[in-house]
Amino acid sequence: MEAVVVDAGSKLLKAGFAAPDQDPALIIPTKMKRVVEDGEPADSSAVEEVTVDPVVRGFIRDWDAMEDLLRHVLYTSLGWEVGEEGQILFTDPLSTPKAVREQLVQLMFETFNVSGFYASEQAVLSLYAIGRISGCTVDIGHGKIDIAPVCEGAVQHIASKRFEIGGIDLTNLLAQELHKSNPSVIIDISEVEKLKEQYACCAEDQIAFEEMRNSCQKEQHTLPDGQVITIERERYIIGEALFQPSILCLEEYGIVEQLVRSISSVSSENHRQLLENIVLCGGTASMIGFEERFQKEANLCSSSVRPSLVKPPEYMPENLSKNSAWMGGAILAKVVFPQNQHVTKADYDETGPSIVHKKCF
Amino acid sequence: MYGGDEVSAIVIDLGSHTCKAGYAGEDAPKAVFPSVVGSIDHIEANNDVKSEKESESASDSKNGVKPLDSDKPKAKRKLYVGSQALGYRRDHMEVISPIKDGVVVDWDIVDNIWDHAFRERLLIDPKEHPMLLAEPSCNTPQQRERAAELMFENYKVPALFLAKNAVLTSFASGRATSLVVDSGGGSTTVTAVHDGYVLQKAAAKSPIGGEFLTECMMKSLESKGIVLKPRYSFKRREIRSGEFQTIDLDFPNTTESYKLYSQRVIASDVKECVCRVPDTAFDETAYANVPMTSYELPDGQTIEIGADRFKIPDVLFNPSLAQMILGMESFADSAAPVRGLPQMVIESINKCDVDIRRELFSSILLAGGTASMQQLKERLEKELMEEAPQAARVKVLASGNSIERRFSVWIGGSILASLGSFQQMWFSKAEYEEHGVSYIQRKCP
Repeated sequence: MEAVVVDAGSKLLKAGFAAPDQDPALIIPTKMKRVVEDGEPADSSAVEEVTVDPVVRGFIRDWDAMEDLLRHVLYTSLGWEVGEEGQILFTDPLSTPKAVREQLVQLMFETFNVSGFYASEQAVLSLYAIGRISGCTVDIGHGKIDIAPVCEGAVQHIASKRFEIGGIDLTNLLAQELHKSNPSVIIDISEVEKLKEQYACCAEDQIAFEEMRNSCQKEQHTLPDGQVITIERERYIIGEALFQPSILCLEEYGIVEQLVRSISSVSSENHRQLLENIVLCGGTASMIGFEERFQKEANLCSSSVRPSLVKPPEYMPENLSKNSAWMGGAILAKVVFPQNQHVTKADYDETGPSIVHKKCF
Repeated sequence: MYGGDEVSAIVIDLGSHTCKAGYAGEDAPKAVFPSVVGSIDHIEANNDVKSEKESESASDSKNGVKPLDSDKPKAKRKLYVGSQALGYRRDHMEVISPIKDGVVVDWDIVDNIWDHAFRERLLIDPKEHPMLLAEPSCNTPQQRERAAELMFENYKVPALFLAKNAVLTSFASGRATSLVVDSGGGSTTVTAVHDGYVLQKAAAKSPIGGEFLTECMMKSLESKGIVLKPRYSFKRREIRSGEFQTIDLDFPNTTESYKLYSQRVIASDVKECVCRVPDTAFDETAYANVPMTSYELPDGQTIEIGADRFKIPDVLFNPSLAQMILGMESFADSAAPVRGLPQMVIESINKCDVDIRRELFSSILLAGGTASMQQLKERLEKELMEEAPQAARVKVLASGNSIERRFSVWIGGSILASLGSFQQMWFSKAEYEEHGVSYIQRKCP
């Protein structure tokens, strides 16, 4: 049986059997609805529904919810049978604390009784998905942004950066902006999320953005509940926020500047290789106009070495940038499990959860 | 007490230039960031900063911030720790260092640095991890007690150990006896380690370190008329395809210390990329016709560096060379007679017992950022062979990988803290509460 690859993001959980040239079989939101029932049978109508996010900013925070979610994914959707569990590969974001990794391994072996386990960092996997082992990954996710230079498959932790901003902050910003321009309309956050995905785009460069502020086309959008809102410059503000974080009230430089600084902290013989192999991945990176703007800004930052974004190979499916960590995981799973480089149940029983740090890197 | 594998110890090495922190058992620190901090003093810039504070409160959680109270008239300041926070230009932000001459003068800043390392870089809770701190080889007892107090009271660590830098470097190379030449950011120290203990009387120290060499590089570039533009002070624009124009941005409220800091970052990158130690002592005439290497500055300017490539590293061997660089003449008056590296090594070995001198000569270890300069090992070996007594076999050891040389103190700590036999030597919280902080002198020799 094929190994299962699971990429638990802050918004979407991607899971499926390891088939590298296909999309993950299951893409579901990483959300659980917990139904809290009132203890007394007399008030049987007092049932609350609370939405729980097991993964916050890339890290697993609510282990009970995660367990339930995985149970649903593995047994119900993917068709594992109790007693015949297979092997599983997980992806980790950058700077995952050791304790979180150990807890995950423990969960897998003790609660789910898997036969083999492997964990790998998302930055390296995204590179495998496009067929490289060295390059710089910019992973713009829902809960966090990771910039990781990778040399020969090893993440340069010293130079890598993690930001606690992501798609969720852009959604909040859009909600704020829409409220300013359409004060009478109240929009649900999940609606704003959909609006963001539909309308957000990036201006060509900073000058074009300034012009956009003054004049741009209005669009009317009808919400499911019938209300009508106008969207004009908010779409560009969202795209600009990553390049000028002051829009989000953060004291940081834009994402391209951070990338160049991060690369310059790596020893100079690797600079060329890193700058010429920049990979953009993550849901937010698929904004209209984002790649072109990124390329343009990157050209400004460095002129001796021309930074270039890597194009995914033709044999890979369309949505590669959104699912690149999962696909890289599928590729890795095909290599690691047959060669027995993963953590087996016997290893775990003998050494305990800390085996994960020795075997998986 | 603590199993070597289950509970991971944390190793921290706070140097004068960078702070290295990470888990024990790994082969490189996860968190490496400058050990200087940016500080905005709220007494100086009270009025215009007040409105800034309100808008900054959204980003409070990202910085190593001290809770501040604008109503109190005392000088409370906001500290920015880490390369991300420090890299962003802010009005009135001064760059200050907690360490002067190898001694910690401002414990508040050290507290913030540790806090940043734990909570923002390593993402751990200090209550659950024993801590191994690396300290300078000639640390005073008061400093050690202060550090232990800070760790136990503020961070409530379960156990602590203070190890000397030289001993850790020695362990990193697998030796119990060696002469450690630690050439770091702020200073160069030569220490003799015998059977895991530092021989205090044989220590030699010199103020010439990476920072000094960077200073020489900066002055040398200035004297040639090259202006180092800090990254925040310009913006580039594409006029036509392939052609770029640099526009200068002016920020009048930027402090002088921040500007110098940004320029030093650029100068030290130049130094690390192009400098090489010459094979023989530097001679103006001999190197006058050496081919130039080009280097591209962040603003697009390309500079050519020729003789300076060899002159600046030679200052380590011949400190009086520094006076020849324009702008550095004041150096001669300020410092006591400073010796070059080979003289310091010989002096240090001569202060040790006659029996161990032979062993020390054959195991000289290089550590520290400045020691990863190219050709340093060969040159030092050559110079020592000339000056050492005839019978001694001189061997200078340095790991080939420059990352290992830069972090050899940290790596030694990582090895030490993960040894099974070390686990009984921790200074635990219970012992601290029972015997008091001065017990540390006995527990950590």
